[in-house]
Amino acid sequence: MKKISVDHLARVEGNGGISATIDGKVVSDVKFSIYEGPRLIEKLTLGLTPEEDVSMSPRICAICTLSHKNAVLRAMENALQVEIHPKSYLCRELMHMGEMIESHSLHVYYLALPDYLGFPNAIAMASDFEFEVKIALEMKHFANHIMKVLSGRYIHGENPIIGGFGKFPSREELLFIKNRAIQFMPFVKKTVELFCELDYPDVPEQETVYACCEPGNNKYGFWGDEIVLSTGEKFFRDDYKNLTNEYVVSHSYCKRSRYQGEPYSVGALARVNNLGDRLSGETSKMYEKYFNKRWTVNPLFHNAAQALEISYCFERIVELVNEILEFKEDPEPVAYTVKNGKGTGLVEAPRGLLIHHHEVKDGRVSNVDIVTPTAQNAEDIEKYCHTAAQKLLDSRQEDQIKPRMELVVRAFDPCISCSAHMAEVKHVPKGNWKTKLKQITEQRSPVFIGVGKPDFRDDASGIKIAEKLRDLKLHDVWLESEIIRDHQLERYNKQHTLIFFDAVDFNEKAGKITVLSMESVLNHSQLSHKFIPFVSNIKNPNMLNNAYVVGIQPESVQEGTGLSSSVQKAVNDIINHLNN
Amino acid sequence: MNNGKLKIGIFELTGCAGDALLILDCEKELLDIFKAVDIQVFLMASSEVTDEKLDIALVEGSVSTEKEIEELKDIRERAEVVVAIGICATVGGIQARFTDPKEWENKYKEVYGDIEMTHTKAVPSKPIDAYITVDTYLPGCPIGKDQFLNLFTRVVKGNLPERYPRPVCVTCKYNENDCLLNKGIACLGPLTEDGCGSICPNHNVPCFGCWGPVEGANLTSEYHLLQEKGFDIEAIKKQMANYSGTKLVEFFKQLKKESK
Amino acid sequence: MKIVKLKKENLFPFLEEISKEADLWAPTKVESDRHKFQAIDDLDQIDIEYTRTILPPRKIILPPTINMFQASDKEYKEDFSHVSKKIIFGIHPCDLHGLLIMDNFFTHEFYDPYYMESRKNTLLLGHSCWPDENCLCKSTRTHIIKEGYDLFFSKIDDTYIVWIGSSKGDDLIRAKEDLFEEDISDKDIKKYTEWGDERDKAFQTEINFDSLRDLMELKYDDPLWKKVGNACLACGSCTNVCPTCNCYNIQDRPVLGENYSEIKRCWDACTLENYSEVAGGENFREKRSDRLKLWYTHKFQVYITEYGKPGCVGCGRCISTCPVDINVKTVGKSLDGEKVDSFWNRLDKEVTK
Repeated sequence: MKKISVDHLARVEGNGGISATIDGKVVSDVKFSIYEGPRLIEKLTLGLTPEEDVSMSPRICAICTLSHKNAVLRAMENALQVEIHPKSYLCRELMHMGEMIESHSLHVYYLALPDYLGFPNAIAMASDFEFEVKIALEMKHFANHIMKVLSGRYIHGENPIIGGFGKFPSREELLFIKNRAIQFMPFVKKTVELFCELDYPDVPEQETVYACCEPGNNKYGFWGDEIVLSTGEKFFRDDYKNLTNEYVVSHSYCKRSRYQGEPYSVGALARVNNLGDRLSGETSKMYEKYFNKRWTVNPLFHNAAQALEISYCFERIVELVNEILEFKEDPEPVAYTVKNGKGTGLVEAPRGLLIHHHEVKDGRVSNVDIVTPTAQNAEDIEKYCHTAAQKLLDSRQEDQIKPRMELVVRAFDPCISCSAHMAEVKHVPKGNWKTKLKQITEQRSPVFIGVGKPDFRDDASGIKIAEKLRDLKLHDVWLESEIIRDHQLERYNKQHTLIFFDAVDFNEKAGKITVLSMESVLNHSQLSHKFIPFVSNIKNPNMLNNAYVVGIQPESVQEGTGLSSSVQKAVNDIINHLNN
Repeated sequence: MNNGKLKIGIFELTGCAGDALLILDCEKELLDIFKAVDIQVFLMASSEVTDEKLDIALVEGSVSTEKEIEELKDIRERAEVVVAIGICATVGGIQARFTDPKEWENKYKEVYGDIEMTHTKAVPSKPIDAYITVDTYLPGCPIGKDQFLNLFTRVVKGNLPERYPRPVCVTCKYNENDCLLNKGIACLGPLTEDGCGSICPNHNVPCFGCWGPVEGANLTSEYHLLQEKGFDIEAIKKQMANYSGTKLVEFFKQLKKESK
Repeated sequence: MKIVKLKKENLFPFLEEISKEADLWAPTKVESDRHKFQAIDDLDQIDIEYTRTILPPRKIILPPTINMFQASDKEYKEDFSHVSKKIIFGIHPCDLHGLLIMDNFFTHEFYDPYYMESRKNTLLLGHSCWPDENCLCKSTRTHIIKEGYDLFFSKIDDTYIVWIGSSKGDDLIRAKEDLFEEDISDKDIKKYTEWGDERDKAFQTEINFDSLRDLMELKYDDPLWKKVGNACLACGSCTNVCPTCNCYNIQDRPVLGENYSEIKRCWDACTLENYSEVAGGENFREKRSDRLKLWYTHKFQVYITEYGKPGCVGCGRCISTCPVDINVKTVGKSLDGEKVDSFWNRLDKEVTK
């Protein structure tokens, strides 16, 4: 067994790594890991006053601090039933544009572009691509200026407060921002052309579900009170858990999310895929020109989507300033009384959907739930890396696995520090299948499940093992049909290990046995469909961490009965091994 | 590589990455920084990493896992000078606010449940000087650009870093703000180290204390002043503790004794 | 001394004219609750009906940080970029007295070019005022002014009586002579003296500064100092807002990417902890009470010996600034044996240092 790993992912914001474990011809395990320690932000904020919470919870992350600020303010203002003045609303949107441009321009030019141009970093790129490096710097500088003017400072500004702003920007400051935005337009167009015309490799292309805020009024935008999915489904803000379902995996302090058992993606690409047809102006023209089917299946187009959004932001800034200037007076912050309440705030951070849920009881914050974009993307990052690694392995390009995985991870622009709760690799137990199986059966009480179709030759191997184990009077043995019909898995909890037996095609000699973690199976496009019915049957998603598949390489899965001899031998070996 | 330039490493432990980001934000000066020194490790900016000896290590973030303790000790061995940057490194940051290890354990369980982490074990967050000797400190949440460039330039040019801690009130007065305490607003300016430019009071927002406690801060007086102004004791204590990491533990112990 | 008259409506045309040659500074209102001196682009920014600004006008002569010179191993380059032609309009008598004390200090023993170059290029246009409860200038006898200004504007109803205090002031008037009237009527004089009497009566606070000089010495070990020391937040605000404080620190700032350093001069405050720290880390005024004693000794005693008047001009800024009520009023009265109601008096806590 071999492990390819990038221990310290460079040029992502925060401290993390990615690794792939290769077992023969199968990528058995891919882990996106965060080494950042736990910060317990959601607990730190408990007992604070709403004002302190608004100051502290954005500290979860310096990179998207203003997205967090907007999200916590939206949540808290919902909880305390504060209705802010339209001028405050517009100024917050302007502030958000600053963060979007700063984050996107830094990411596409400084963190992603060096990969495509073959440099270790942006500084090394500077001599050959001076123009690009300079534009990026100036854009970022302008964006920082917007953030400073509106929020008070570049990182962790405190000017936005519950009920509005401590202080509004002056007319002169706003006009400066508008005029500067107009000056940037030609460079913005070049940026979109550059990133939409890059040659993005087609590994790893794969379907996924995209989620983002529904801004309403058929507009493009970065916040709303509903979540919209690429499947067309919508959820109201308070029902966000229908989408996210956070759970913890053992290799990361970043919590994870799945939608109906499947990974999903959030971020610029999700927004452009879900809402791109609502864009207007120049941005819309460029969307029409560049958008195509590949954007919906290839995460590398995140960079193209980010460039498109930079253009959207610049155009929107001009409109926003005009709208803000209509209000001559600066409204005082809306007065409020601190009462009991719960509120959810949905915001599109640069990296995607950010959810803040805050509850106030007796004047103090009593419950906080924060779901960050990277936490939601973690599963898709692994899925796409797995797909890429497997495809490259299949086409004998093993040396490409490492750089390609880095490319994929970077495309998602993971913000590791904000994933607050994120890690290194959980190794599949070392050794051959026997030692692995021994280890996992000894950890907790094992539950055995036979999977497969009895009438399709070697596909019956899983069922055969289960039936035999029952004959041997082992406890907790089930057949595929029983669990689905009778929801048998609901009775088990984290004290148990689920062990599935099945015929698995992993390009090996017939009869070869392998032990895979359920996570790696779910990340594997050809294998996952088989197991999703079981996984969705599991109440506690944490149990996924304690689920394994014992696979036998089949010789034939044609219609018919009787196992091939090599597979029959494998079945006997497994039974004997467990019976001892 | 030996070009006579100082070898620098910028390291990120647990935190929001704001300090490293701020260094990247020194747009105008960034090229000068990269020209002036030989940056050996700066993961946020470059994929090149070495394990050579370093002249200066800048460390951001608090120590929150066993692995980080090892990493930090390794950094100390590699580097001549270690600078703690940002309040997570200097005082422990917001995540070090649990002054009682029991409290931390309980909260940890509430977030992560009983899952046993396979990659590294979490420990209660602490400032880096809980594990290694630190040569100089640069507080801030995030650090201030001016203060950073000043320290960086001094060190690079072979001067000792110059530290001149003073409370936020100094700059706040230069900016001609009215004292918020006099308006009955709970402002932590007098207890908090300066460097932010009194950004919150400039916007009519009280100081939250995000630079950490300033040396010689009169905690007792401010605590009783706020109490006299009608704030409840628990609220004051919480507010004072929010950004002071592990540094006010003694003061809170003292308060506890007094109230008995 | 020459005295002329100016109708209220002629003030702005006059200021308009003189600001062509120099930067005009004047009090402006900031966010409805405070005033500060600012460089004026638009005369409508001026709000002359103010009581006190947060910082005194000395910040215009010497801002909190200036660059004194650049130095490398080969070269030394002086920097007087903080010096430019300025006119400050609207300074009250107390602040004019403050600047007189500063002028004295910076020329008395050692001539300070950084202060004096800037000062010589600045014209001072005073303005009359009305006291509030924190004004102590009658006690320090700085409520009236006879010298130290170029022009002084006493506002009586819709007219200004303009006192010309220097030849430079006279030049200003001559630049727009037709705006002014020469003859001051008996009626005007009567109105002015009546206004003066009324104003004298409006002062609400009296402190006996004459006795404070001795009391400072007699009560050097009074428990009062411990009490103020316990309460002092050591924020330096009393010092930074004082019109007569003049301490500074010098910092070397090497410049990245260049081979020279900038030598900066920054305001400092003796009430801050690091002020008395010397090489090796020793601090000979580590205690807040010791630092406060130093400050009050300067205000109440040393200046009288050196310059014949107290180091306090009664502007009341420390009174409106200090959050724990340590100010010339409470400390002065307390030294004088009066029991004062103040936070520092109420705080019954021992604080180390």
